[in-house]
Amino acid sequence: MTAPVLAAEPLVRWDWVRDHTDDITAQLWEHLGLTAAAVGMGFAISMVLALAAVRWRWAYEPLAGFCSVLYAIPSLALFGVLVPISFFGLGFRTALAALVSYTLLILLRNIVAGLDGVPAAAREAADGMGYERWRRILRVDLPLATPAIVAGLRIATVTTVGLVTVTALVGEGGFGSLINDGLSRNFPTPIGVGTVLSVALAIALDVRFVVIERLLTPWARARVPSTSGTQADDALVRARARAAGRWSALVGGRP
Amino acid sequence: MRTTTPADAVADDAPAPAAAPADTAIRLDALTKTYPGGATPAVTDLDLDIPRGELVALVGPSGCGKTTTLKMINRLVEPSDGTVWLEGTDIRTLPVHELRRGIGYVIQQSGLFPHRKVRDNIATVPQLQRWSRSRIDERVRDLAELLDLDPALLDRYPSALSGGQQQRVGVARALAADPPVLLMDEPYSAVDPIVRARLQDELIALQRRVQKTIVLVTHDIDEAIKLADRIAILNVGGVLEQVGPPEELLRAPASDFAAGFLGDDRGIKRLSLVRVGDASLSRGPVVPPSATADEARAVMAAEGTDWVSVCDGGRLHGWVGADELDGSATVANLRARPFAAVVGPDTTLKAALDVVVTSRTRVAVAVDDEADGGPRYLGILTVDDLAEGITR
Repeated sequence: MTAPVLAAEPLVRWDWVRDHTDDITAQLWEHLGLTAAAVGMGFAISMVLALAAVRWRWAYEPLAGFCSVLYAIPSLALFGVLVPISFFGLGFRTALAALVSYTLLILLRNIVAGLDGVPAAAREAADGMGYERWRRILRVDLPLATPAIVAGLRIATVTTVGLVTVTALVGEGGFGSLINDGLSRNFPTPIGVGTVLSVALAIALDVRFVVIERLLTPWARARVPSTSGTQADDALVRARARAAGRWSALVGGRP
Repeated sequence: MRTTTPADAVADDAPAPAAAPADTAIRLDALTKTYPGGATPAVTDLDLDIPRGELVALVGPSGCGKTTTLKMINRLVEPSDGTVWLEGTDIRTLPVHELRRGIGYVIQQSGLFPHRKVRDNIATVPQLQRWSRSRIDERVRDLAELLDLDPALLDRYPSALSGGQQQRVGVARALAADPPVLLMDEPYSAVDPIVRARLQDELIALQRRVQKTIVLVTHDIDEAIKLADRIAILNVGGVLEQVGPPEELLRAPASDFAAGFLGDDRGIKRLSLVRVGDASLSRGPVVPPSATADEARAVMAAEGTDWVSVCDGGRLHGWVGADELDGSATVANLRARPFAAVVGPDTTLKAALDVVVTSRTRVAVAVDDEADGGPRYLGILTVDDLAEGITR
């Protein structure tokens, strides 16, 4: 009986981490860059799709259906399709296309849910007071949909951070490259470092969005005008509870 | 009514404002609305003139098309047929957003924008019309004062306001660009009865100052009677049953439907249209502070009461009871007690009726609080005085 090779190694070899800080930092930036590019591009596309779906209601189900199909395609299969196409190839464009396609469903559903959730009275008042359609969407509908939209961005971002590790297979993987390296060499240290940092990055970005949402929607927690610390803390707790509620309400399970 | 021949119908494009009286602000001309898929029209061939500076209430049961009618005035709903004339202009000839910015709009549950501070909510239309910052600030300040809004509320978000305050902000927002016409769609249906009554009183006072042309939709006939100069009763399908001043409708309902909608208590309701200041009051038992006990007893005997009001030069001090008059030299030596059953000149006879029947003595004392130096005695109101208010 032979012991597994991995068990012979210590879980983390700190000297390796010390020797590779430059490499790890570079992967952090790559991971962050891919995530930002994917979520940013996905957000822009989803916003256009969502505005079209709200304007032409019949378009929503086909659009959502299309995004669901993209979401359901296994990433390996998608790489297999994209890599031979010369525009995509083995690298950044393929990775980005895959990551973007996985954000669309989440973002589209959340933006539409947010726009649908705008109080009818506010919308009617805006129409009745002479807002043009586009101006109303910009100045009334979208600001009021912000909590749901940010909720979607949070889910999309956390999901994307996780998926970036998979795009290491096409040579653009951030922390995924560390994990790949470890797996191919039966060397647990890069696997552990890549995994922990990837999760930490997801959490850090998620927290950043909570802060952004609070800055964008001061009105959502204005119910209790508060100055004292305890009341502000209460407001934070309530905001988190609301965000958690939205999370479970708006995300179906991943396919 | 106009008669339409087929030839006329073809030439109907030529706008001919059927010679509206000069004081008509809004004229609904054969207005019809059929929703796609609706078997019967929501509004049927409705003719209605709304005079400038008047508050006209559209009332009727659910499905009578009153809200649809209102929304055809600012084109949130496009008529299937017929024309809305606004100050002699066919509203279809105006750019729709310009039309709406020129008409104040107040809706149920206030419809305030939750993401904008009260100040910016009020400034909505001025901002759309690109007023200067300083002019907007000044206007918001004036409106806050006009609607009795605490300036501290201006920098809050709507969710921090009570229902009544939100509704006031809604009215301020509608008035912001000083439109001549105000449309109000069930503005008070979402607030509790106490707040509603106060908001209604405020609207009456406000209308006295601003003299807008107001079209108010409500399902509450009492609200219409209280607020409107003129009431239009609509039946299901937007059929106009009767239009006229409240007292006329209450005195002579034109149809069974109108009578039924106005209610079995039309006589009592008419009491709400007359105010104490306009009613005939009884003199009541009154003595000056210098009166002796015997003089007070004589007044009580003449009036058939066991109490007497003490008035000094028209100022009411209170009342003293017969059992307190024990040989005191003058009434002034006794402590005059305040009345519990008091009405003012602005109190409706309906409210006064309530005060009268719940008071021990079956009378209410009418005083005018406006004057300095104590309430001015106007007289007393008895059940007989109230009956006269109904029948005359």
